[in-house]
Parts: sequence; C-alpha cells; structure tokens
Amino acid sequence: MHVDEPHKNVNSAKKADKKQRRCLAIIKSDCQVSSSDEPTIYLAVLNVGLSNGLTEECLLDATSKTGGKVTEVVMLPGKSYCFLVCSTLDDSRLIYLGMHNISTIGQQGAVAYLSYVKELPALAGKSDWNSPLPNGLIVMPDFVSEQEESELFKSISEDEGSTESGNLKHRKVKHFGYEFLYGSNNVDPSKPLEQPIPSACDILWPRLEGNSTTWDWITPDQLTVNEYEPGNGIPPHVDTHSAFLDPILSLSLQSDVVMDFRRGEEHVQVRLPRRSLLVMSGEARYDWTHGIRPKHIDVVPSASGGLTTQPRGKRTSLTFRRLRRGPCNCTYPTLCDTRQTKAPLELSSTLAEQAVSLEQQNVHEVYDKIADHFSETRHSPWPQVAQFLKSFGPQSVVLDVGCGNGKYLGCNPQILTIGCDRAQGLLSVGCSKGQNVFRCDCLSVPVRSSSIDGCISIAVIHHLATGERRLAALREMARVLRPGGRALVYVWAKDQRRNDKKSAYLRQNKAVNKERTTEQLQRQKQQQELEQLPNNTPLPVHTNRTEFQQQDVLVPWKTKDEQRTTFLRYYHVFEEQELESLVTKLPEVQLVKSYYDQGNHCVIFEKIP
Amino acid sequence: MKLSTYNFLTSMAIKGVKVGFPLKLTINKKEEVESEFNPTFIERLLPKLDWAAIYGAAQVAELADDIPPTQPENIGENELLLQKLHHLLFEIDVLEGQLECPETGRIFPITDGIPNMLLNEDEV
Repeated sequence: MHVDEPHKNVNSAKKADKKQRRCLAIIKSDCQVSSSDEPTIYLAVLNVGLSNGLTEECLLDATSKTGGKVTEVVMLPGKSYCFLVCSTLDDSRLIYLGMHNISTIGQQGAVAYLSYVKELPALAGKSDWNSPLPNGLIVMPDFVSEQEESELFKSISEDEGSTESGNLKHRKVKHFGYEFLYGSNNVDPSKPLEQPIPSACDILWPRLEGNSTTWDWITPDQLTVNEYEPGNGIPPHVDTHSAFLDPILSLSLQSDVVMDFRRGEEHVQVRLPRRSLLVMSGEARYDWTHGIRPKHIDVVPSASGGLTTQPRGKRTSLTFRRLRRGPCNCTYPTLCDTRQTKAPLELSSTLAEQAVSLEQQNVHEVYDKIADHFSETRHSPWPQVAQFLKSFGPQSVVLDVGCGNGKYLGCNPQILTIGCDRAQGLLSVGCSKGQNVFRCDCLSVPVRSSSIDGCISIAVIHHLATGERRLAALREMARVLRPGGRALVYVWAKDQRRNDKKSAYLRQNKAVNKERTTEQLQRQKQQQELEQLPNNTPLPVHTNRTEFQQQDVLVPWKTKDEQRTTFLRYYHVFEEQELESLVTKLPEVQLVKSYYDQGNHCVIFEKIP
Repeated sequence: MKLSTYNFLTSMAIKGVKVGFPLKLTINKKEEVESEFNPTFIERLLPKLDWAAIYGAAQVAELADDIPPTQPENIGENELLLQKLHHLLFEIDVLEGQLECPETGRIFPITDGIPNMLLNEDEV
C-alpha cells in the first residue's frame, strides 16, 4: 500500500510527542527536572543514556553535526536519558532542531527524542567515582607492555593438559601452583600442582619491589586465571583470609573492566584498565568485598569529567596469591574466617555459668515476644516428622516436648498427643485449637515415668546452652517413655549443606537469590545494623540464611510489624554425630536411626524394653 | 486441660518429692466440648491411664456416680462405662483451676485451659 509522505511525517511527529511526554514524566519523577516550552541552554536527551550504552563521544559527535556547541554532558548511571548544557540559546536551538526525532544515536539506531528542560538534575556530578579508593587499594596502570601482555597470555595458554582447568557457571578458570577449590573457597597446601606459576610471570616481581614495604612477600605461589566473556562477572567476595597472605595481586589482560568494592553500604567503583595490576592489601584485601557485575557495557568516567560507557571485550585476569598455611592474623574480623569460626576463649565457661539467664533472656523471653509472628511462620509439618507420628499404632500416647504452636499435635488423629512448651504465647495458639497442652521446661517434664509410647522434640534442645543441659533434656524424654517407646529429636545442624546442596534455610536467602548479593556482603551489612543492638552476651550474631560460622550463636528474628524490631535468639547448632553421641550417654536407650533432614540433625532412639 | 492430660501429670520434678501423683485437682471453671466416641480407642487407652487418677478426677468433675472406684474387669463389654469414661477424659475441659502437689502442697494454676507446671530454679 502506498503511504503519503506528509501522512508519515504527521505520524512520526505524533509518535515523537507521545514519546516525549512519557519520557519527561519519568525524568520528572526520577530527578525533579521539568521541561520548558521556551528554549533554555539545558537539553535533555530523553530516550538514550548510559543504560543503553550511549558514549559521550557518540553524543558529542551527533551534536557537532548540528553546529551547536556543548559545554557539558551529564550522564547519570543506570539511566536511559542524559543532559546537555549548551553555550548559548542559539546553540541549544541548533541542537534541538538538528537532533530531535532525527539523530539515530539510540539503541540499535533508534531515533533520539530531545526536550528543553528548566534545570539540571540536582544529583548531577555525584557518583561512586568520586569516593576515595578503599585503603590499601592500588591500581598500577601499564604494568606490562603490549608485547609482554601477549607473551604472558601465551604462557598461560600452553600446557593445557598439565594444569587444572575448568568451567565455572560464568567463566573459565585455570590454576597454577595450587588448585583453588571452589567448594571450600580454599586451597590444599599439601597438594601442589605439577605446573607452577609460568616463568614468564617472573618479569612482574622486580617491578613490585619498591611497593612491597607494606607486605612481606614478593613471589606468589598460586595463580588463578579467569577468562571472562563480555557480559560475565564474578559475585562480590573476599578471598578467604586464612587461605592467602596479604596482598592479592590481579593483572588484567585483553580488556578493561570496572570492579566494584563494597563494605556494607559503602560502594566504590574501580576501573581496571587493560595491562594494569591491581594490588589489594590491608583493608582492601580483608574488609572489602570485590566483584564484577555481569554486564556487557561499563559506565566509566569520561575525559571531560562526566560519565560515559565502554563496551567490555573478552578479559583474562591473572590473580596471584601466596598461600598462608595457618590461621589469619588480620585486624578485620567481619569477613575473617579465622576470627568468625573461633569461639571466644571464655565462651564455654560463660555459657555454663550463664546458661539459665541466657536461655531466659535469649530464648524464653524472645519466644514470648515473637509468639504470634513465629506461629504464623510455622504451619506445615515436616514430612519425616509426620511420618514418624504416623508410625505409631492407634491409641498410642505421644508427647511433643517443645510443641510450639502445636503444629504436630493433630498430625495423627488416631493417637493421643499431648504437647508442652515453655512459651505461654505459643501454647495459647495450640490451646485455642483444642489441643492438649501444658506449660513446663523441657529439663523437668511433669509427666509420669515410663508412661508414654512416643516422644518428639523438634527444634528444641538446640536452645539449651550447655551439653549437660541438652543431655538432661534427652534424659527426661527417655524417662517418660515406656520400655519399647520411641523418641524423635531434631536439632539445627551447623552444616547447612549436604552433598553440595544447600538446605532450605540457605536456599530461602532472598538477598542472595534476588539481589545478586553474597553471604559475605550480607554479613557486612548486618554487622553494621547490629552494632546498635544491645547484646550483653559474649556470643557472635549469626547472619540469617547464611552458613553458620560457630556453634553457639545468636540468631536474629525481625518482627513483621512496622517497628521491625530485631530479637536475638540463642542457638547451639549441632556438629555431625554430636546428637548421636549425647544419645549414647543414656544407658536406658538405644539409637535406632540417625539422619540429616534439611539442615537438621535427627535421631530416633528407643527405650530398651 | 482435658482430664486425659491430667492423668499423666506429676509434680515429681520438685526437689524431695517422691511420687507427686495424682495431683490434687480443683476445678473453678470448666466447659463441655464434643468429641467423637470410639469405644475401642478408650478401651485400649485405659492400660496407659491410672485408674485412681481417673476416679479422683471424676469426683472433682462431679461425675463420681459414673465411674467405679476400681477398674471393673472386662470393661470392653461395658460400652456405657466406656462412653462415660470418654466423656470424662475427652469432653470435660478445665479452663480455670489448679493442681496441687500431694507431697509439698505446691500449687500449679490452670489458666485459660493451660496448666502451668513451670517450676522455679530453686524448686528443682
């Protein structure tokens, strides 16, 4: 069908108007900049910006074709629009008329839409690029020449067979000296690889000598080569403190990239030019995480002091490290595996002395306060617990020690189940549903000896602060069981992974799943949050939905209400075999079965008939 | 608190108490709830219960005429008695009252249907 030229132009102008209005509304709500019907020296490019990969160069190229002069380009990170400041109103008019609905600088040659605006956004010029670098971070540009770059690249590409190589989810890796083990994020010092760091790298070390006054080694013994295709990255992480000495060196080959350094809410972007060496030492090595966002285009400072974009090419990084072979002695505890996994020295005696008050304050009082919210989150019975309850014949009497809101009390209607708990608030929930409950402590269960066919105690005795008290709770269960009666006990496991699979507890980490953050980053953030929270115990605070660093910890519970109050619950998370070994200390029972179920250690024991 | 639950409770955890059973029951407020009668369930449950405590509870619940002081033999053939036992054990819900340790006189209150058997640190 033939279409009239004028008709087409009318359509195009209509489309441009519509698009203009829509973009201006976004900009208005984003950064309070309003359009102007009269020409001003400020122009907004409405539909192209850093987020579409627009470069300052490309934009200035387009403006110069109009004959209008630009004095400043304002690009905002993550935005699909940008601003121009023109020399005079005439320049501004030239650019508007020459570019609006004409210039094809948009994504995939799309046409750009422009508008006069009354002012520049207030945030212009403020970006992470203006923050100082983390302490201890040095970027040495042009650390190797182009020729050296290709020689180094060749040396790491040779001998494919004799070095460990592999593909991670988003990048290719290869190790020299020692293999970096991604499961444990560590190396095995007893297993050096056949292939040491290629001798071609030896040219690097003399160049470091002048800078090595702050650390005590120059020659690394471990090299990890990462190959990143454009669009790939690496999640924010800190190199395991106990695995490597300070500093970590990283040589960038083939392409520039932007690396993100984070410490809690602090964020610094660092440009790593091709052929530069990054040195992370001290604070930068120990207390900041570093990572590369998976993007095809980086936003970087432009020559004129603004921001522009830079497409990534294939990049190879050479990370040089030296094995530590012992515990870390740094002064940055938040991300220190040595520090985080080492229980405070006086802890066991403190726990023994303060067990009662600790349980009172950090278990009983907390459950009383969070009862309603806690109860809402506890509704579906765990399948293997329900299965255990269904294994009892009709007319059996089963006691649930620590029944909470009584979610297991109605599981098997053919048996008589009675529940007990310490938390009045939780008992009321169960009682209102017509369940049989009474209030007591699991260390003195007010039930006749040898009167009960079965016992369950799900997620209870890990709230007791000493081994003796945990054993005493099991002894009470054994006492009330009739000979031949069976008990099932669940406790939280320190190890939240089995066969490399995360438990449901770890899998439900929203931050890690959705916001592309990591456990280390979360730990940093929480650390800062919790500094205000009163904690008069010697116990470390666990970061929710991350791996446990220690056995005796406080686990935060955040209420759902507006206050979002955080309460700290005490837990003793169990090591492998720990629960079994408690059971074997009870002469009147025998272990029937022990298993691991979604981050819990579980035992079934029977009172010897 | 149902009187079936009452049948299992003891104060033996108190320091110095030898048996602590049956606890002396006082009912200030009770309500009757409906529960499905299953004669086999009651019959098979009886060996796990203490008859003296059943009888004692019946006295307090004003159902003494229904329950004999000692357990009759061949109770399975006496469906009427089983029904009365069912009513006593599962259909009387004690809302307010108390349980008293027979040896020390320690009182455990029953509030809103929940007996509070919690002991103080110095009692155990």
